[in-house]
Amino acid sequence: MEELDLLKKAWQKDSHSYEQVSESEIYKMLHKKSSSIVKWILIISIIEVLFWAVISIFFKVDEYLKNLNAENLSMYFQVLNVVNYVVILWFIYNFYKNYIKISTTASTNQLMHDILKTRKTVKYYVWYNLLMSLLSMIAAFIMEFEFNPRMEIVKNQIANENNYNTLIVTVGIMLLSIILFIGLVWLFYRLLYGILLRKLNSNYKELKKIDL
Amino acid sequence: MSDNLEQLFVKQLKDNQNIIHKICRLYTNDEDAHKDLFQEITIQLWKAFPKFRGDSKFSTWAYRVALNTAITLYRKSTRTVATTSFEAQKHFISQEEYNFEEEEQIKLMYQAVQQLNDIEKALVFLYLEDKDYTEISETLGISEVNARVKMNRIKGKLKKILNP
Repeated sequence: MEELDLLKKAWQKDSHSYEQVSESEIYKMLHKKSSSIVKWILIISIIEVLFWAVISIFFKVDEYLKNLNAENLSMYFQVLNVVNYVVILWFIYNFYKNYIKISTTASTNQLMHDILKTRKTVKYYVWYNLLMSLLSMIAAFIMEFEFNPRMEIVKNQIANENNYNTLIVTVGIMLLSIILFIGLVWLFYRLLYGILLRKLNSNYKELKKIDL
Repeated sequence: MSDNLEQLFVKQLKDNQNIIHKICRLYTNDEDAHKDLFQEITIQLWKAFPKFRGDSKFSTWAYRVALNTAITLYRKSTRTVATTSFEAQKHFISQEEYNFEEEEQIKLMYQAVQQLNDIEKALVFLYLEDKDYTEISETLGISEVNARVKMNRIKGKLKKILNP
């Protein structure tokens, strides 16, 4: 077929007309998968913070405290809030740094190191959030118990009872709701970041295989 | 260790990239798809690189992996319709020896090849690369006779597309 041979001739001539890809572009292609995962971690963490910020606009801590006649605690809450945001912003800054690092790195060893670091940062972030949920849960219970007038009945009953039944039930309810709440938060983070972390981990393993 | 391996890989790929570009050229019909396929092939090559023992040339090994990648990637998507835009074509044809009639014919040929299926494209690629039937049959995992028969059928098909 003469057309095919014509094509063959042209084919063998035109090897230099392709836009050439540079070495650094090839490096980028090799690391693209990890960097897109880390990008998602960054995006999700920002969305999450925005979500909580919006929630806190609707939930007025000050009014809640007023209802409990505990306005003097308001300052502690404000301080806690600021500290919390500072810590979370610090985490986001770290996610951002990891993302920049992973998307620009040129060496596999460095990339593996960065992946491990990112995983660690995410883990600390999740632990921090769990700890904060636990602490705020405990604080909420203590405040309810201390300041909510409706708790007086329970308190009286505990004081007047010979056995510890009411105390045990009260503490039991508290513990159960804490476990349930923390479990939910944990599940939420597991779903949100767990999938991304697993993907990142499989990338890491792939890289490691090549390393051997 | 792995950094050295990576450097070696990147350098070899850079030096042998035209063979990948040529495969992308047959399997895609615009610049973006070309770049996507190039990237996908690069990743597949890098994954397979530890298994590359160096008993064949890098380019030979690379085009085999690349062809496999292209075939699997384009197996599911239905046959590409000849939508090759004028713009995209211009990009590939060399400037020298500007022979309008010949140029036109080559353009039509590329469009015709675009309408072949994934395996047929692979065969055309190997044919254009001047591989003999032994190598073609080895690369595609078919018998030599089968490769010849297929090639003849492709020629017939192309003729039909060019002169309907």
